[in-house]
Amino acid sequence: MGRYVVRRLLQMIPVFVGATLLIFLMVHVMGDPIAGLCGERECDPATAARLRGEFGLDQPVWRQYLTYMGNVLTGDFGTAFNGQPVTELMGTAFPVTIRLTLVAIVLEIVIGITLGVVTGLRRGRPVDTSVLLLTLVVISVPTFVTGLLIQLLLGVTWGWIKPSVSAEAPLGELIVPGLVLASVSLAYVTRLTRTSLAENRRSDYVRTAIAKGLPRRRVVTRHLLRNSLIPVVTFIGTDIGALMGGAIVTERIFNIHGVGYQLYQGILRQNTQTVVGFVTVLVLVFLVANLLVDLLYAVLDPRIRYA
Amino acid sequence: MLLDVRDLHVEFHTREGVAKAVNGVNYRVDAGETLAVLGESGSGKSVTAQAVMGILDMPPGRITRGQVLFEGRDLLKLKEDERRRVRGAEMAMIFQDALSSLNPVLTVGDQLAEMFTVHRGMSRKDARARAVELMDRVRIPAAGQRVKQYPHQFSGGMRQRIMIAMAMALEPKLIIADEPTTALDVTVQAQVMDLLAELQREYRMGLILITHDLGVVADVADRIAVMYAGRIVETAPVHDLYKAPAHPYTRGLLDSVPRLDHKGRELYAIKGLPPSLLHIPSGCPFHPRCPMVRDVCRTDVPPLYEVTGAPAGRGSACHFWRECLHG
Repeated sequence: MGRYVVRRLLQMIPVFVGATLLIFLMVHVMGDPIAGLCGERECDPATAARLRGEFGLDQPVWRQYLTYMGNVLTGDFGTAFNGQPVTELMGTAFPVTIRLTLVAIVLEIVIGITLGVVTGLRRGRPVDTSVLLLTLVVISVPTFVTGLLIQLLLGVTWGWIKPSVSAEAPLGELIVPGLVLASVSLAYVTRLTRTSLAENRRSDYVRTAIAKGLPRRRVVTRHLLRNSLIPVVTFIGTDIGALMGGAIVTERIFNIHGVGYQLYQGILRQNTQTVVGFVTVLVLVFLVANLLVDLLYAVLDPRIRYA
Repeated sequence: MLLDVRDLHVEFHTREGVAKAVNGVNYRVDAGETLAVLGESGSGKSVTAQAVMGILDMPPGRITRGQVLFEGRDLLKLKEDERRRVRGAEMAMIFQDALSSLNPVLTVGDQLAEMFTVHRGMSRKDARARAVELMDRVRIPAAGQRVKQYPHQFSGGMRQRIMIAMAMALEPKLIIADEPTTALDVTVQAQVMDLLAELQREYRMGLILITHDLGVVADVADRIAVMYAGRIVETAPVHDLYKAPAHPYTRGLLDSVPRLDHKGRELYAIKGLPPSLLHIPSGCPFHPRCPMVRDVCRTDVPPLYEVTGAPAGRGSACHFWRECLHG
């Protein structure tokens, strides 16, 4: 197990380098970051040259990348063009996004698995059909449509919630945005749980459990669920990374000043340091989440042993 | 009389129509007796057992008629909760594939101990101790350590021993073993069968042994019931049946066993295929494959005739059982 973890950690290095290099190059071809700094007018060539030198933009790209990665490894993500250190931006943005992601994950687990269990045990009944239809609708409608619709209905027309989240983003205000963020994954979790449950329900060991004379409740929770939730847990684990990065749309709709918001602003203003810095951290989150999922998998299924 | 199955009918509702899996099965098992139920796949032997056990998937399955009398009370009339208390405690079942029949994510100890905590209300610690005893009883080496292992860490034979231990846990009066050795190596088959027979003798349990293996039957069974298309076509004490079958289907089965003294000759096979349960042939369901078929076979369903002149309780569902017996 220990050796496996070390190997996985080592494997993360090339993935990390590749991913950051890609994003670095993509941002590089986005255009000249200096061009937008002087407002409407074109920059004075002398000023532009001075800024280029100051930010190291006159160096070749590979050199810029190396310098940048060197700084990142010492914890320096550079400064945004407005002079604010990127780490400072991260310090305000990540706690908000993490809170939002937590809300989303909890909703995903509680609602998704509950609906999946209910429908999986009642396949073909009206409950099953209606939930299935509902999940299909949720999956097919893009998040920005559901998000704006919910904001309009709950926030503006009926006034149940504040249409935009305040700057401190308290937990209570994040519940509806969290639901919007989780909606598509939630629908997938429901369907995955349902299918997995229905499949395992016909399995031999469930028949054994029934033949042992166990109460139905015990058959379902101890024997059926334990096995059926293995793929679901895997899905939810990998989803953590996706939710943190994918909050851009939701954060924008509800005006939440988290990672997505900062990324959006960064791209809009061609703020290279911000974009690359945030994406780098997101890549790390993805990698660590995936590793944790793989390790969790071995805990849940004793047949899997890593050597 | 421990178990008395009377006129049992089971159907399955499928998209293609109604599959009549069991069509009027009668059998009885006494305490300490072994009844072998013999038949091809689809003959209804497993479905009958599942109906007796109460683990039939309903729907699509449906018991349309009959009684399952266990020590005199009809199990089919019990409420699910009462039925559940009978399962595992008074009658238990052993399945064919022990690997898929054991829960892969729970230790064998947990799965054995569960019998005691659920049915007997024992503490987890006591139940665990009983689980080790059980594993010892079915001769699993180093039971104390292996109790913490998972099913995939055991060999096929050891896994089937665990299934047997689980079935034996509460000393039930009846055990139904559904092809318990089919998935095992031949050498291991004999060990597992011996163990099962030994435990049965010791606790004087009734045993229903479902199999398609004539070799297994001869050694351990007292009586045989041969099933075809959801009916019992012949029932007899095991040695009488081997000596002189009273049904052409049984005869066909016996003739298709490979024998050393027939080496080099072509192996006999019953012609044709077992009938689809959606369209069971009229009259005697075996008539399209029967070498002795006559007109009456195509129209009249043969009842289970009592075979006279033989030891009591021998029956054959053939219009011409006399010819078959002596021919």
